[in-house]
Amino acid sequence: MSAFSLDWYFITLLIFVGLYGMLVSRSIIRQLIGLEIVSKAAMLAVISAGALTSNLMLAQALIITMIVVEVVVVAAGLALLVKAHRLSGSADIWKLDSLKG
Amino acid sequence: MDKGLLAYLYIPLFTAVVIPFLPKSKPKLADLFANATLLAGLANLAWLCLRPSVIASGFISVPGNGLSLLLVGLIYLVALCVTFFSANYLPEAMPNRGAYYSLLMVSVAAMCGIVTTSDFFTLYVFIEVLAVTSFALITVDETLGGVEGALKYFLLTFPASALIMAGISILLLTLGSLSYESLRTAMSSGLPAGPVTFGVALMMLGFLIKSGVAPFHTWTPDAYQGAYAPVSAHLGGIVTKISGVYAVLKTATLMNFFDGRAQGLSSGIMFLGMLSIAVGALAALRQKDFKRMLAFSSISQVGYIVLAAGLGTPLAVIGAIFHLFNHATFKTVLFLNSASVERSAGTTDMTKLGGLEHSMPWTSWTSVIALLSTAGVPPLSGFWSKLLIILALWESGFKTYAVLALLFSIVTLAYFMMMQKKVFFGKKPAEAGAAPEVSPQLLAPAVLMSAIIVAAGLLFPYFYSYVRMAAERIIL
Repeated sequence: MSAFSLDWYFITLLIFVGLYGMLVSRSIIRQLIGLEIVSKAAMLAVISAGALTSNLMLAQALIITMIVVEVVVVAAGLALLVKAHRLSGSADIWKLDSLKG
Repeated sequence: MDKGLLAYLYIPLFTAVVIPFLPKSKPKLADLFANATLLAGLANLAWLCLRPSVIASGFISVPGNGLSLLLVGLIYLVALCVTFFSANYLPEAMPNRGAYYSLLMVSVAAMCGIVTTSDFFTLYVFIEVLAVTSFALITVDETLGGVEGALKYFLLTFPASALIMAGISILLLTLGSLSYESLRTAMSSGLPAGPVTFGVALMMLGFLIKSGVAPFHTWTPDAYQGAYAPVSAHLGGIVTKISGVYAVLKTATLMNFFDGRAQGLSSGIMFLGMLSIAVGALAALRQKDFKRMLAFSSISQVGYIVLAAGLGTPLAVIGAIFHLFNHATFKTVLFLNSASVERSAGTTDMTKLGGLEHSMPWTSWTSVIALLSTAGVPPLSGFWSKLLIILALWESGFKTYAVLALLFSIVTLAYFMMMQKKVFFGKKPAEAGAAPEVSPQLLAPAVLMSAIIVAAGLLFPYFYSYVRMAAERIIL
């Protein structure tokens, strides 16, 4: 097994670990952690793809941009979480059910 | 990047930066700045492609690919309606008025970025910028409903972004570059298409989640219902159409679906489109809230566009582009009208509304025009786009889909008639208070959009020649 196939093995594993974490937990914070794991796996995929096609410079540039974008998105998500906690008093996703139809 | 259109991206961004520096003592200045920016952009676009000489020559002299220009115009139009409506709708003492307009302008800039870019990574970055501004805009009135809708939106769009990133990595691996052109070249060359199709399928999945297509539609009704009233028009009218549906359509045209090299992906997308038409229409039948019903109708209409994009023949692409345009116009009218009803009657719960026809005639009749167009009643614009989509399906041998699409168009008419009867016609419930017509400034955007719906239906030949030019340029 080459180093690269090991890379992709771990990437797939990480994606499924993250998705599993999202699906089983009720707390929004844990779901966010699961999401972070998924997106880190996707970043690893990009850097591995860049290394494999000897295109590492492009891949690094992409990764840095992705990190910046992701920081902003996660900050927005955490702000939403704090707001939800202030307004409803819990961080449990199943208790957020005021909108129904 | 389509460099000729970059100014449409920079100018709203510049306005977004300027607005926070305006004096706090004159809150109306922010309204003025936002409206003036968008109006200037629209005037410029009208000069570019609505001059009689340009129309007479069949829009040959329109720069770039026509689709970007059409969508930039659409973005400006919907955003102008929303800002004009907000300028008269926002409470006088709203503390974060400047921030609201700044966010709107950034979202306009991000949408222009999405439609003018020509590589997948830039597309991803602008989609993320748009998503962040949408979270903030949904929660602008700080109610629990808004925060809940935004949180559900967040928890579904973030995995979608991760999927897009994974797709980008596969494309980087197989193509070595991320530009649209390299994908098109790879798909038309004789090389095996399997790995490329896998990468594109991952990205498509992300775009489909972002556009709220059937199995992933659960965030859409919550986000639209919970959002602040003018924001739900912005979100339902244009944001999800650009961030999701446009990306699906663009990627589908790059994949050349009609030559059958990515058959599995094409039929999968068509199936999801059909499923979304059915789920959206059937769920809309049993909604009790005005805005929530509009959200389900939005899911159903997006299904038509995705169905046509999955088919990918030139006629289907023309239909998809035209339906994208129509959907933005009539959904903006309906969401703005729901905001007017909320302002006037104090609720959007349809069991508590009724008989608004007499006190709010303008709102009622613009809704009638928009809903007839959505359902595809002949002279209006929605008829032509649905006709093109159904014809394209029939022509390519998907007769079951064509018949189903036609049937669900009738279901569309059914639930909208129910909505119209419950909200505007019928008897006024005893406990409902007086609901006077909203001010002319609030009516103006809905009336303008209704006029565009009627005009696009009656002047269909001109519109068709533009869209055909755009479709030819993006397919060839």
